[in-house]
Amino acid sequence: MLALAPVMAIILSLVIGRYPVSLSAIGQVVLNKLHLANYQVAQVHTVLIWDIRLPRAILGALVGACLAVSGAAFQGLFRNPLVSSGILGVSSGAGFGAALAIILFHGNTSATYGFAFAFALLAVLLSYMIGQVYNTTPTIMLVLGGVIVSSVFSSLISFTKYVADPYRELPSIVFWLMGSLATASYRDIMVAGIPMLVGLVGLMGIRWRINVLSMGDKEAHALGVNLKLDKGIVIFSATLATAGAVCVSGIIGWVGLIIPHICRMLVGNDNRVLIPSSMALGACFLVLVDDIGRIITGSEIPLGILTALIGAPFFVWLLKRTKGGGW
Amino acid sequence: MHLLELNDAGFTYPQQRDAVFSSINLRVDRGEIFCLLGPNGCGKTTLLDCILGIHRLDQGRIKVNGEDARHFRPGEIAKHVAYVPQRHENTFPYTVIDMVKMGRAVYTGRFSSPSDIDKEQAKKALEIVGMMHMRHRPFTQLSGGEAQLVMIARALAQQTSLIIMDEPTAHLDFKHEMLVMETIVKLVRETDMSVLMATHFPNHTFYFENRDIPIRVALMHDHTFLESGKPTEVLREDNIGRIYRVKARLAEFAMEEGSLRQLIPLRTLTAEDNCDESQY
Repeated sequence: MLALAPVMAIILSLVIGRYPVSLSAIGQVVLNKLHLANYQVAQVHTVLIWDIRLPRAILGALVGACLAVSGAAFQGLFRNPLVSSGILGVSSGAGFGAALAIILFHGNTSATYGFAFAFALLAVLLSYMIGQVYNTTPTIMLVLGGVIVSSVFSSLISFTKYVADPYRELPSIVFWLMGSLATASYRDIMVAGIPMLVGLVGLMGIRWRINVLSMGDKEAHALGVNLKLDKGIVIFSATLATAGAVCVSGIIGWVGLIIPHICRMLVGNDNRVLIPSSMALGACFLVLVDDIGRIITGSEIPLGILTALIGAPFFVWLLKRTKGGGW
Repeated sequence: MHLLELNDAGFTYPQQRDAVFSSINLRVDRGEIFCLLGPNGCGKTTLLDCILGIHRLDQGRIKVNGEDARHFRPGEIAKHVAYVPQRHENTFPYTVIDMVKMGRAVYTGRFSSPSDIDKEQAKKALEIVGMMHMRHRPFTQLSGGEAQLVMIARALAQQTSLIIMDEPTAHLDFKHEMLVMETIVKLVRETDMSVLMATHFPNHTFYFENRDIPIRVALMHDHTFLESGKPTEVLREDNIGRIYRVKARLAEFAMEEGSLRQLIPLRTLTAEDNCDESQY
């Protein structure tokens, strides 16, 4: 069920779009490409389905899964349901990296990805180092470190906008910061997919420990958790996943906050179930929102705008229905 | 070999001059209760934190089951000592059984989840504290007393020979205080475990003594142990006056249940009482 839902969402997103395609055409193209059959298909269908919509949907699913699950993991680790995947400064770090690359390398894609990823990691590393006191990393200090680093990188983003060429560079920066999957290709999946998958696997592996870590430092220690190592693994995995996602998609807010919450209402708070459900629902959500962004108007609406516009009313509706799910 | 042994233990917070405590000697043996008594802020909790390995002593040493605690790997202490907090700070509404299963963390690999055996252990622990019927309820919806019993069950699931409790009845009403005390008695009587607890109520120690549970008490005062031993020997009227500044009488009642001792507080002592030592 959990693995099936994102697959369904991906198939659905192959069908819908401004150029409608039938399910049978999709089947034919996919079978052709997998060398299982040899149907006669229009070239335009092959390109549209296999080279444009499919990579975009796969990337969307991966990004959604990563953002949602990192949010869920961080909420557990920081014992705060209001935390999202950007708490340690990943997003603002990536944003600055991308903006810097757009100015320095005039929007070269590889450079933008590389810089975004590197600065995302750097931001989290800085937050972690600020949070380190007396050789331990109390949760509250980590949050503080994240706040400090985020605000520094936000200022730096503003600075790059200020110095950017207002006709060529500034629009690219602004557009990047709004988040989009429009340029998705298989190469993106190959490159950014590696950190994303490593992060997803790491969080899946350590998911029960997140329950124990959410007891708070003192109790978790007394329950036999190696705080430093286990926290490190959670932070490292979530950071890889988010950084991988952000560097190809730009900053997409709200997924990392709302999806874990929806899952908490639906499946409860045990991270053994919550982590995989967040992945699945995050994947579905982002793929579907991206579909809506593609078809709703003549030109595309950036993802980062739509996630909140669509997610917020849905969240409110769910809050009313489940009475907050035990909060 | 003692279950827990502290020799000449001392601790000072980094960047502070005065020691929280120093020259503490303490021994806990199998099947006994050891109570730490002392006014607010005397360092009881910090002492417990040092035993749990949250702080490191900067003087003296701790031996747990004969092993030097300094050589423990991070988290290894959890195989020897379990911990019941004064009050668990709720975050996410985990179910009661999920809470208790966390007591199995020390026996569960980093990348795995509790097994069926662990689940059985958790159920057994809930059975002992009489909370089995609540196992599917969200922990956050329990009353303070029920929550504390679940915390004790979690410690039991850890299967250690010693449980450390930090003022386990501090927030509880009259009945639930009694319930927690009875549970502690049950544990020590039936499972041969030991309990090291900090408490604010001198009469808790008499409660145990009146029931013939092996109990010792240490009075913490001026950053060290003023005296330790049996409650009747240590909780004398003069000692209560000295450390709590309260005038109290130790009363003994002949009841059907046998002779029961109880400390009855009369009034707080003022500066004038200081001059007259015979007051005590």
